[in-house]
Amino acid sequence: MKGLAPLFIGIFGTFAFSWVGLTVLPNWQIGHLNPESEEEGEDHYPQPQSGMVERGAHVYAANGCIYCHSEQVRADYAAADIERKWGTRRSAPRDYIFERPVFLGTMRMGQDLANIGARAPAEQASPSPAAAAAPGAPPAGATNPAASPQPPSGAPPAASPAAKQSASPAAQAQPGSPSPAASPHAAAAVSSGSPPPAPPSGLASPSPGTMGTAAISSGAQPGTATAPSSGPQIAGAPWPLQTVGEPPMYSAEWHHVHLYSPRSTNLDSIMPAYRFLYQKRRITGERSAEALRLTGRAAPEEGWEVVPSFDAKCLVAYLISRNQTHPLKDVRSIGGAPAAAGAAPAGASPSPAAAAAPAPGK
Amino acid sequence: MNDTGIPLKEPAVSAVAGDTEQLERAYIDASTRVPVLMFYTSAMFWLVFGTLLAGFVSFKLHEPDLLSGFGFLTWGRLRPAHMNVMVYGWASMAGIGTAIWLMARLCRTVLRYPLLLVAGAAFWNLGVLIGVTEILLGNSTGYQWLEFPPYVAVILFVAYTLVASWAVLMFRYRRGDQIYITQWYLLGAFLWFPWLYAAGQLMLFVVPVQGVLQSAVGWWYANNLLFLWFGAIGLGTAYYMIPKVIGRPVYSYHLATIGFWSYALFSSWTGMQRLVDGPFPAWMITASIAAMILAMIPVATVGLNHHLTMRGYFPLMRYSPTLRFTVFGAMSYTVFSIVGLLISLRSIAAYVHFTQASIAFSHLGLYAFFTMVMFGAMYYIVPRLVGREWRYGSLIKLHFWASAYGIGLMTLMLLAGGLTQGTSMENPSLVFTESTESVLPYLRGRSLAGLLLTASHFIFAYHFGLMLLGLGRTSTVPTFLNPVDAEVEAH
Repeated sequence: MKGLAPLFIGIFGTFAFSWVGLTVLPNWQIGHLNPESEEEGEDHYPQPQSGMVERGAHVYAANGCIYCHSEQVRADYAAADIERKWGTRRSAPRDYIFERPVFLGTMRMGQDLANIGARAPAEQASPSPAAAAAPGAPPAGATNPAASPQPPSGAPPAASPAAKQSASPAAQAQPGSPSPAASPHAAAAVSSGSPPPAPPSGLASPSPGTMGTAAISSGAQPGTATAPSSGPQIAGAPWPLQTVGEPPMYSAEWHHVHLYSPRSTNLDSIMPAYRFLYQKRRITGERSAEALRLTGRAAPEEGWEVVPSFDAKCLVAYLISRNQTHPLKDVRSIGGAPAAAGAAPAGASPSPAAAAAPAPGK
Repeated sequence: MNDTGIPLKEPAVSAVAGDTEQLERAYIDASTRVPVLMFYTSAMFWLVFGTLLAGFVSFKLHEPDLLSGFGFLTWGRLRPAHMNVMVYGWASMAGIGTAIWLMARLCRTVLRYPLLLVAGAAFWNLGVLIGVTEILLGNSTGYQWLEFPPYVAVILFVAYTLVASWAVLMFRYRRGDQIYITQWYLLGAFLWFPWLYAAGQLMLFVVPVQGVLQSAVGWWYANNLLFLWFGAIGLGTAYYMIPKVIGRPVYSYHLATIGFWSYALFSSWTGMQRLVDGPFPAWMITASIAAMILAMIPVATVGLNHHLTMRGYFPLMRYSPTLRFTVFGAMSYTVFSIVGLLISLRSIAAYVHFTQASIAFSHLGLYAFFTMVMFGAMYYIVPRLVGREWRYGSLIKLHFWASAYGIGLMTLMLLAGGLTQGTSMENPSLVFTESTESVLPYLRGRSLAGLLLTASHFIFAYHFGLMLLGLGRTSTVPTFLNPVDAEVEAH
């Protein structure tokens, strides 16, 4: 080949073609999505995460969770993800618009985590990390009672939906509003719509106002929790929600035990233990309320306790915030999906009519 | 001449001009000595370090309780540390070192401004060192292949700018009009990399794109780094080494042209196939799968060209270390592309997506193809820089077989393991842990393969160390893998 000019032009041209085609064009197509809301302009999804959840995402990145866990549910016709109850619908670009970094992942040496938060029992019995941190941070919902899409700040949605319930009946007043989210009984429904096995006594916090993780998992869409029959958002969960002597599966406390000692909750797990995120200390005075309920070999000696570090709490808050069960207008939901429109409060029945719409992937 | 009747000397040395040309070449080689050795020595250090990290990563994957007590030794930090050390430490530095030497030779001019390159190597090492430390301390960005914190990218970019400006200056001083095939690839690599790296950094950290597009940019970057940076340097090197060692011109320039341009056009469009069935517009993924299919055109033309160049000369692989490594690498490029194509087809991806098969693909590209070509180049270049020949033919042979069997076994284990894992994962009547359980035996096999690779790298590092210390053989005859009849001319 003679002459540099054609070589230069070709080298630049081919690469510019790829750059424009695979990054600039997609950015033009799906790079500026907004949250979706229903007719009343309420119930925006998704909502930006902040505070502990955001920090939790960095703990997730720092410790390389992405190298074994994906956060994306593939469509039912492409893969068995939905059959595995990893989600009620395929993931869509809109689910991730506030994620940074985004952890789609390309490996599953562990389960998909896109909906790990939705799998938490609706009634969160344990003293959740989020609830524990809440007093320090102003509940965002309380200062702005209008049920606006304001991002819950400070502590993750933990306290805010509940705070809305108690502090601002006005926000829900619109009589006859079909939206289940506005029902004053929403919070009560959350607690009564729990799966049958009762949480261990002594740790239950009956006041809806202090419900930590349950509020997180349903916080983004209080409406979904109102369907009494579909307690956890993914119906027919294949995992036991309650095992004897252990925290309810996928609850915040369960995550802590699992992170500290993976094989104590699942013998076949090949996840490494993240003990460096926990502190083992001598019990001074009373046993900490945060201390992990460990059994077997993982349990500390008498007189010692294991408590989560702040990073561990953030990581669990992040995990519990993973929830893509909220319906999206152009994605078909499958199996136990909450109804898209507020008119049908019984969310248990999938509404193929509303969902049949456009092709997934848009 | 030897018993094979094939010349083992450099080609194109006409009887008349021979002496002057050889002298000139020696002069050019000597001028590249400091910068190239600096890049090579750094690369060797990172290779050994990355190999140790790889050992941890591989064993910890099937023995999760091994050394899990410390944050900096947790699997999720060691894995990106290993990956980044290999990609930015070993492969990039070996690639740049080789590219510098090839540029000087092909521009037929002594290396000017060596300080630019020395400074570039120093900055590059600094960047990799800080970046890896940050990852181990838990400051990874969380973007695969771009885990270094953004400020480290600035250091790497400074280093890169120094090297690239040198390359541009060299091009100005080149003699002769002819631009050889290798130079197309090297020029491409030198121009693509900064654009690619800058685009990746800008679109992820400076003006971040929204949501899932971060993943799209990330995998666009990663695949282009694999193809347009490593791939281009690797192919360019093979285009130089194979004809050089066998003393025969490249079979067809036309084929080479087609191969180069189709490579630039199609392989740059791959990447999205790693996100198959993900939350993206379907056209993006389909475009990348189509590009993987079209990338068979350069694979076929380049492979054919190399094959036809080599035809009748394959027995030389018995003797020449460079040829043996390079041909192995060039053949692996074909295997790498075919495996990459197969695992990205939607019908197959349904069973291998999210499994170890993708690790097999990366290792085929970065190791079986690129690293083997670099080993070959180093066996050719280092003696010309230090003025000594490799000390032990037997060590080179050990190095080759340990590497070849190691990467072969690793690829098989990861592909078979990935298929097993994926088949169980796609069967919802099996509990999920069945899929991870089923892949464990293969991962143990992979660790075994890793031990072979570790042995090969330590052997090579030892041999390389001897060369650096001036303990190579003083001889005019290059070191062959197997004894050749005497009076073989120096090449």
